[in-house]
Amino acid sequence: MTNQPNKKSMFASFKMFLKSLKGHRFSIIVAILLTVGSALFGLFIPKILGDMTTIAVNTYPNIDWSALGGKAILVIILFLTSAALNYGQAFILAVVSAKYTKEVREKILDKIFKLPIAYFDKHQYGDTLSRMSNDVDVLTTSMSQEIADVSMSITILVGVMVLMLTISVPLSLISFIVVPVSVFVVGQIMRYAQKYFREQQSTLGVLNSEVEEDYSGEIVIKSNSYEDDALDEFTKVNDKLTKVSRRAQIFSSLSFPVTHIFTNLGYVAVCALGGVFVIEGRISIGNIQAFIQYVSQFNRPITEIASTTSTLQALLAASERIFEFLNEPEEEPDKNPAKAVDRVRGEVEFHNVSFSYIEGRPVIKNFSAKITPGMKVAIVGPTGAGKTTMINLLMRFYEPTSGYITVDGVPTSEMKRSDVRQMFGMVLQDTWLFNGTVEDNLKYGNLLASLDDIKRAAKASNVNHIIEALPKAYHSEISEDSDNISAGEKQLLTIARAMVANPPMMILDEATSNVDTRTEQLIQDSFEKLTLGRTSFVIAHRLSTIRNSDLILVMRDGNIVEQGTHEELLKLNGFYAELYNSQFSE
Amino acid sequence: MFKLFRFLKPYWWQVIILLLATGLQVYTTLRLPALMADIINNGIVTGDTNYIWMTGLKMIGLTVISALGSLVSSYFAARVGTNFARDVRTAIFTKVINFNLLDLKSFSTASLLTRTTNDVNQVQNVMIMIFLIMLRAPLFLVISIIMAIQTAPDMSWIILVGAAAILGSAITIISIVMPKFKVFQNLIDKITLITRENLTGLKVVRAFDNENLEKTKFKKANDKLTRLLIFIDRILELQNPLINIIFNGTTLLCSWVGISLLSKDFAYLGNMTAFAQYVTFVMMSFLMMSMLFVMLPRANVSAHRINEVLKKPMRIRWREKTSGMPEKTASVEFKNVDFIYPEAEEKILDNVSFKAVAGETTAFIGSTGSGKSTLINLVPRFYEATGGKVLVNGLPVENYAKEDLIAKIGFVPQRGMLFAGTVRSNIKFGVPNASDEQMKKAARIAQAENFIEKLPDKYNSHVAQGGTNVSGGQKQRLSIARAICKNPDIFIFDDAFSALDMRTDARLREALKEVTNDTVTLIVAQRVSTIKDADQIIVLDNGKVVGKGKHFELLKKCQVYQEIVKSQLSEAEFKKEVAMAGRAKYD
Repeated sequence: MTNQPNKKSMFASFKMFLKSLKGHRFSIIVAILLTVGSALFGLFIPKILGDMTTIAVNTYPNIDWSALGGKAILVIILFLTSAALNYGQAFILAVVSAKYTKEVREKILDKIFKLPIAYFDKHQYGDTLSRMSNDVDVLTTSMSQEIADVSMSITILVGVMVLMLTISVPLSLISFIVVPVSVFVVGQIMRYAQKYFREQQSTLGVLNSEVEEDYSGEIVIKSNSYEDDALDEFTKVNDKLTKVSRRAQIFSSLSFPVTHIFTNLGYVAVCALGGVFVIEGRISIGNIQAFIQYVSQFNRPITEIASTTSTLQALLAASERIFEFLNEPEEEPDKNPAKAVDRVRGEVEFHNVSFSYIEGRPVIKNFSAKITPGMKVAIVGPTGAGKTTMINLLMRFYEPTSGYITVDGVPTSEMKRSDVRQMFGMVLQDTWLFNGTVEDNLKYGNLLASLDDIKRAAKASNVNHIIEALPKAYHSEISEDSDNISAGEKQLLTIARAMVANPPMMILDEATSNVDTRTEQLIQDSFEKLTLGRTSFVIAHRLSTIRNSDLILVMRDGNIVEQGTHEELLKLNGFYAELYNSQFSE
Repeated sequence: MFKLFRFLKPYWWQVIILLLATGLQVYTTLRLPALMADIINNGIVTGDTNYIWMTGLKMIGLTVISALGSLVSSYFAARVGTNFARDVRTAIFTKVINFNLLDLKSFSTASLLTRTTNDVNQVQNVMIMIFLIMLRAPLFLVISIIMAIQTAPDMSWIILVGAAAILGSAITIISIVMPKFKVFQNLIDKITLITRENLTGLKVVRAFDNENLEKTKFKKANDKLTRLLIFIDRILELQNPLINIIFNGTTLLCSWVGISLLSKDFAYLGNMTAFAQYVTFVMMSFLMMSMLFVMLPRANVSAHRINEVLKKPMRIRWREKTSGMPEKTASVEFKNVDFIYPEAEEKILDNVSFKAVAGETTAFIGSTGSGKSTLINLVPRFYEATGGKVLVNGLPVENYAKEDLIAKIGFVPQRGMLFAGTVRSNIKFGVPNASDEQMKKAARIAQAENFIEKLPDKYNSHVAQGGTNVSGGQKQRLSIARAICKNPDIFIFDDAFSALDMRTDARLREALKEVTNDTVTLIVAQRVSTIKDADQIIVLDNGKVVGKGKHFELLKKCQVYQEIVKSQLSEAEFKKEVAMAGRAKYD
């Protein structure tokens, strides 16, 4: 609530939301009709109950039981029908909202796959995740609630007004006058409440960042005896939050007593004036009884409609976030017909490739290189130099801003993305494994692989003995954050996964940190096997890997500043030589 | 949830006012139907207009009192509720800020953050709900029943029928649906899990062209969820029509019975209307109370998460005053130190002994899990040794008052962490009254001066929360400057140089010599190049000291050290180093 959503985009996404409901149009209309019917049937009940009283009073002491019985049966029929129609509506809306939720979720997942990787470099995962869970939740629950409530409230409001007027015009006018006054007063109160709620949200934000800073920097706080000062700072914000949220709470709970007092004033007026009318014979006793009930029914739809505005706001905000996401520009579709390489030899050529994440700030400038089949290419440079960009371009996670890349002479931009990606096996630092068995994880790149194939790959990647040591061996459940396997072992698993896929070319990202010496050697050994005879690109940190490469691309501040073999680059005595010497000179 | 009620204690008198006001409000509201019955019986039937107006005025008076009661109770509910939340938040914050690192690690930062903010909010809202609704409902229930019986004793059995019907239907529905909610939550979690996986593994999924596999997986879970959701909804939605039937049915019953009693006493004409309203109030109170079943579990989860933090025992107790006199010369000594995590089997540190003296650099190296980080965390007592003694300047660390011990130590953690403020406030974080010369000197030594001078406002430049507006390397240099500015007896660098490129690393270590003449310097490192020149290198493996000495000595005699060096150098370079180590013997 801290930043007010843009009205225009809200409107646009609301239109999209309505459009997305089109498939359920019929069910929704039926549900609305059922609601209206249910409300109408219910409306007549107080009137008939009142008639019963009138009959009883008029025929007293020889009460006309048969007439009363008829009315009673009518009441029973009315409320049973009303309830049945009401349930019918709920039954239909339950299906509509569940199916609609399902559709939206699937659309979002679909969209995740269609969006360019660049989107996720700019947006946090948590954001997309919360659109998938929280916003979808809000959208669908408030949607069915709104449909039922609004149609119910409007029917009751109109129906009650008509019925009240038929009973007594002056009494109705008294009740009607109270309503706008109470709505106005409550509206004013809610405006204040909302102001304080917004303030509460923003203060909560301040508190949040204060606490987050302190918790994540706790070691610094401890090593400087800063605990008491931190508590002081916290207390300041905490006190402010308490003050604002107290105000917000008070104002929002004010609306209840205020409506209450207006309702009751109306009620009392009707009771007293109605009583006088009965004595004067202007109205029957049963009708006054019915009228009193209508007065209390009359207020409910008004408060309901008032609360609708806040649900509607939530609904609009959620639909904006969802449809904004669904509206994000997608990856360009594959060329059709697409070219393909039959038997990949592994000749990769960069033709004047340039790339920039932000326009005007090129990360790779006019880069050309020819990599012959089987060549080992090392990409080196300090962190943040843009090494991963090279991989992103190769895999077509990003498209070059100009120039192109060919594999065996065919430009990758003219192939299907999935074909390009299947030519490369990828082992990244980030050892992503999904929740599932070891076996399922290992055959992720080749769903047809047999258990024997998988075991062979696991042996070659030095991970077989680790898997066999797990309680259920290849059928053990693992996940990204499993703690029964170490980071190094996870990397070995991703190597085995690449081996099962058996692609013609490899992309590797050497990770050195967080791995103990022995596992480190196992990883290095499996890397060797993996790259044997394959064209491979390695983001290298280890000098041994670098020295054994056929081509070294040296990157600095996003540019490829030097390229060549280890000896050539040392002779050049440039940035590479400096990097190399800074670590190993005396 | 109930455990948290102790935080209400300071506000007991406000809670009592709240209760009284609520009682007043309920009572006055419930008097209205009885007065209306009086209007019918004594006014309308007898044709006494005056009586009607008088009673009408009485009703208005009651309405005003009722509204006042409601205002007072709302005010105190908000007041007590928010004060309660404030106190709980402060309690959590105080606890967390004084946690030792062990306890801190057992929660994640994100989860502690949610506990301090969202969970407390959740509990606050439920607390206010309890004050406003849950206190009201039982009062409503009891008073309505009493008044209903008073107005029409012959009809009181209808209350039983209505209440039984309402309770029966609510309990049936809840008992069918409740067990399904757990399954429902599991399925929701599953969907979130799959989505999360696909987001974090985006590149892998696309690299293996497995979008369709993932979609099928998602669809399966999604379909299951949809079916369950429809089932739950269809049962839950029974509630509304059922309640309507019961409400209308009882009202009809009241009219019918009331009319049949007219012959006995004509006052039933007014009384049956009032009675019908009381029965409605009774049933509504039951409904309100059944909301408790829906609200409480959610609040309970939050309350439980809060209690988890609050009930953690404080593991480290500090002395108010340092006992004993620490020596003037700086030193750190470990005597047979053990460390084991609670409930763990293997020791993280096993019989570690060494002495680090002033003017020398002592470095620790070893693979992950070798215990090197734990070891240095024992010096500022972030952890407590489970065996042996840790001495700082000759005095055991547990003899120090916290401020005295911490003042001696300049600690630089692995990750450079900054706080919102300015460059100045960050460097002077530990010593707010340090002079600007001292600050500038610290920045110069930490190799931070160059980039600070280039900033628009130099030392007054704004630093964003978490230091997000400076680069990783700059953050690390500032956090090193922060430690230097303290002018400590002991420097501890916990793998603090790995975020720096090798040239800056080397320059910084060279410059550091200016201030480390009389200090103990402890360095944990991954890179052999960082610690090669240390006066003493301690090699750790599985918590044990397996080598102690200088670079070349260790290269010759310590196998673990050789392995580490080998993994970082190529074969040829390694041989060169070993050869040099051989020559070093004759130096």
